[in-house]
Amino acid sequence: MALILTYSLGNDLYGLEIDAIQEIIENPVLHYVPRAEGVLTGSINFHGQILAVIDLPKLLGFAGNQRDHRHLVLTSEYRSLVFTTCGVERIVNLEMEFLQPPPDGHDRPAVRGIIDFNETTINLLDTDEVTKQLEDIFAE
Amino acid sequence: MRIEISYKFIIGFIIVVVSGILVNLVVPYIEGIEPEFRQLFSILCSLLVGLIIGSAFSRAFSGNIRRLTSAGDRIRQGDLSEDVKVGDSHFPDEISDLAKAMNQFQASLRSLVGDIRNIAFRVANSSQSLSGTSQEMSASAQEVARTTDQISKGAETQAEMVEESTRLFKEVAISIKLVASSAKAVADSADLTLETARSGSDMAGSSLDSIRQVLSEAESSGQQMVNFIAQLQKISKFVEVINGIAQKTNLLALNATIEAARAGEYGHGFAVVAEEIRKLADSSKTSADEITGLVESICKEGEQVQSSMAQVIDEMESGREADDRTNQAFSDITRNAEGTRSKASSIAELTEQQTSSAERITRAIDEIDRVVSDNAAATEQVSAATQEQSAAMEEMAQSVKELSNMSESMLQIVKQFKLVKDQD
Repeated sequence: MALILTYSLGNDLYGLEIDAIQEIIENPVLHYVPRAEGVLTGSINFHGQILAVIDLPKLLGFAGNQRDHRHLVLTSEYRSLVFTTCGVERIVNLEMEFLQPPPDGHDRPAVRGIIDFNETTINLLDTDEVTKQLEDIFAE
Repeated sequence: MRIEISYKFIIGFIIVVVSGILVNLVVPYIEGIEPEFRQLFSILCSLLVGLIIGSAFSRAFSGNIRRLTSAGDRIRQGDLSEDVKVGDSHFPDEISDLAKAMNQFQASLRSLVGDIRNIAFRVANSSQSLSGTSQEMSASAQEVARTTDQISKGAETQAEMVEESTRLFKEVAISIKLVASSAKAVADSADLTLETARSGSDMAGSSLDSIRQVLSEAESSGQQMVNFIAQLQKISKFVEVINGIAQKTNLLALNATIEAARAGEYGHGFAVVAEEIRKLADSSKTSADEITGLVESICKEGEQVQSSMAQVIDEMESGREADDRTNQAFSDITRNAEGTRSKASSIAELTEQQTSSAERITRAIDEIDRVVSDNAAATEQVSAATQEQSAAMEEMAQSVKELSNMSESMLQIVKQFKLVKDQD
């Protein structure tokens, strides 16, 4: 059993284990970061910590600029990144035994596995992959 | 010297006898004659003398007789141009008397014939001029007859025209009466119109009052609707607040779940509570959304009601204006109807005057008709007289023609007499 926070990326439903989430925050004061890369929207003050806000849809290459006012603050294990997302509303309880690897031809980016929920498919985000991509970007 | 024929005979005889005696006396003195022949010679000489004298005398006598006979013949044939002439003689006799008498007879006959001829000429001339005059008179009579005829026809036409005029004027009189009755009907209609217009004006006034009342009510309804919509907007604001609270609750529930998960086994119950709270927040949000939808649709309907109300008010306004115009129109109608009534009344008066005039004119036309009839009768009498005159003229012309013929024939007869010797 695992608790998964669901959110939307494009037309797909993505999921993230709540173990990776520090907190969900609403309408944070966003600070502009000079010379920031395209996926770095800005920075916020989170209980005294300065955290970078990453535009997750843009990073994963989803078209459209629909962004939610809710942001996900990850745990320090994931460098305390802040993701802008959409449709953050529910936390669902899933049996992780039913998690399947992405089938061949599955072209969604950064998917660790897929799992069915109420006749829809939740793509479980590969947080390591996202972190790796960010490292690649900012290492340059 | 006049010697009658019988004496001439005697004288001749005496001459013969005397010559015989003289010869007898002379013969013996004549040489060459034998005595025995002397007697014979003297007889012969006497015979010769007798023969000479006798033949001369008888020749003269018979010549004169022939001349007389031929003159008588000539006179019988009508030739009076020549006088009767007998041989000239130193000794006129009864023949000469007879010739003279015949000449006198011929002269008197000639003068008689000449007179007759002159008279006949004059009669012929007179009859010719009379004929011309009678022809002229006849022509004049015919002219008079024709003119009278025309006058008679004209009188008939006049009579017909007068009759036609009478008929037409009677029609005119009838028309005038019709006009009078029409004018009265118009006046009545105008009265009716006046009454209707007044009642219409009253009704328009009362309808104006009703419209004003309805209008004020509609305006207050519109105001109420505005208030109602403002109240709805307040509700909408409350719903927004509820929505915000529901979202916050949802977020708190989510974070609570996350915190509960971090608490591990101890946080399990808390997680359940958090989930319930989240569900409540969700259903609150759903309800709030429903309320928002309801409020929006009510708002929309309210706006529609408001616009309908505004429209109704506009229409009421225009109705009030129309009613004002109607009122104005009714007062116009009233004024016009009054004018029409007074005009129709004056038409009625005028037609009464016309009716009396028409009666007078009809009487005058009847009088004219009577006069025209008298004229026609008189003209017919004149026409008859003229025809009689014309007949008399024709008879006279006939008589004149006969007279002319008679004078012509008389002239013809008289022309048989030749009064003057032909020039050739």
